[in-house]
Amino acid sequence: MINFLEVILVLILLTVLLSLGSTRLVALVRIMALQGVLVSLTPLLLKGHGLASLGAVAFYVAMLAIKGVLIPAMLIRAVKSVSIQREIEPFVGYHASILMGLIFLLSAVFMTNSLHLSLPEGRALILICAVTTMATGLFLMLARKKAITQVIGYLMLENGIYLIGNALSQHHSLYIVEFGVLLDLLVAVMVMGIILTNINHAFDDVDTTLLGQLKD
Amino acid sequence: MASFLSLLLALAAAPLYPGIILKVKAFFAGKKGPPLLIKYYTLWKLLQKGSVYSTSTTFVFKLGPVVSFAAAVLPLLFFPFAGNASLFSFHGDVVLMLYVMGMGRFFTVVAALDTASPFEGMGCAREVFFSTLAELTLFAILILFYRLSGSLSMSSFFSEGNTLTLAGASGALIVLVIVALFMVLLTENSRVPVDDPATHLELTMIHEVMILDHSGPDLALIELGAFYKLFFYAAFIIQLLCPFSLPLSLLNIIFFFILLALVYTAVGVIESIMARFKMNLVPKFILTSFVLGFFAVILTMGVLQ
Repeated sequence: MINFLEVILVLILLTVLLSLGSTRLVALVRIMALQGVLVSLTPLLLKGHGLASLGAVAFYVAMLAIKGVLIPAMLIRAVKSVSIQREIEPFVGYHASILMGLIFLLSAVFMTNSLHLSLPEGRALILICAVTTMATGLFLMLARKKAITQVIGYLMLENGIYLIGNALSQHHSLYIVEFGVLLDLLVAVMVMGIILTNINHAFDDVDTTLLGQLKD
Repeated sequence: MASFLSLLLALAAAPLYPGIILKVKAFFAGKKGPPLLIKYYTLWKLLQKGSVYSTSTTFVFKLGPVVSFAAAVLPLLFFPFAGNASLFSFHGDVVLMLYVMGMGRFFTVVAALDTASPFEGMGCAREVFFSTLAELTLFAILILFYRLSGSLSMSSFFSEGNTLTLAGASGALIVLVIVALFMVLLTENSRVPVDDPATHLELTMIHEVMILDHSGPDLALIELGAFYKLFFYAAFIIQLLCPFSLPLSLLNIIFFFILLALVYTAVGVIESIMARFKMNLVPKFILTSFVLGFFAVILTMGVLQ
């Protein structure tokens, strides 16, 4: 029988890798939408999580809608409104970024193996996946210049945190906190949209390094 | 018996499938497209013609097509179609298969260089560079398969007991392998987004430019070899999709050949909806496939064993 949980986790790793190598912003946002959907599907496949109550159902649907539809739609709108298509000259090149992804995964595996957490059956892969996603999110925030890509990095970081929550928690109790983080994220994306338009107005570009030139 | 039958069927049917790619592309363009058997007609037409050899070429030029055709057929003898035992198999035959295909490429390249045409030299450089990178991916996948199945022969990868398929115990890793292999398929067989088989400008060609000077039966051999190579990779991917454990081996074989059309359709769809990459983005594409393969290997160190 196909183990759907593992397949979804591996697909999340695939999106992480693709996001490191993608030059076009629209493609990047689409990859993030896919990752959001995959990440919000994960708890459904965990043993002992399931669709226990009406509240849980509402939570999963909201999660899927925000991560998979709402945030990507807003990001796409931001990309369209400032009419930038690709990230040129990032701080770290694309080939190097892809290799960094490899290193992140390698260290995530070693970390998970040597942490010796008493995880429930089949949760170790979630932890590996979560650490890799978080590290990659952090890396994207550091290695790219455009504000949109940095927000996408933040988004990926949040996905990783959510996965860690999934791996460690046994019940739905943690989800309240998660939901708070998600709202934070939503606000962050909105603020990013506003900032992006303003940078674009001031400099005719959305490169955040240009902000260093600001004076009184 | 079943092994012979499936091999013969494979050798006979390989030129049929590229017709499917053309049909899919025609469908996307809103055209009727060439008939499904177009590649057979092309081969027949080419075989009836004579060959033209430039006076500046040597015997190497004539050797190229023959060797590359033989190198494309040979790996199929080791391939276990639809889970049937392959005709030949021994420990490590996968490595042999890959390097026999490498030898075929070498002779194509040497024959192309023999014409002393600058275009062909350029095509050779690209072809060799990209397939060197693709070899990384293939060997990452081999390392993974060796870890999972403890053997290095094609038929033991897919025999009973060793279930290197999506439905098997390590099915999640096979997802990565299938994506990586598909990227290698596109690279090695010079399809979009790496190379455009329909291009007419020598400067943008990779594979096509190396065979510009071949004509008649030589060209037919090269084309047929290319079909077999594509068939090999497509069959490899299909073999990873499902275990083919229907009770009757004949049913398995039919099922296998029907599923093969899936891979070719996917190639056709990609060819219709994507533009080819700029030349400098191709290494990134292949590198991504390598990292995918290596991701799978790393994951076996952690939990999925």
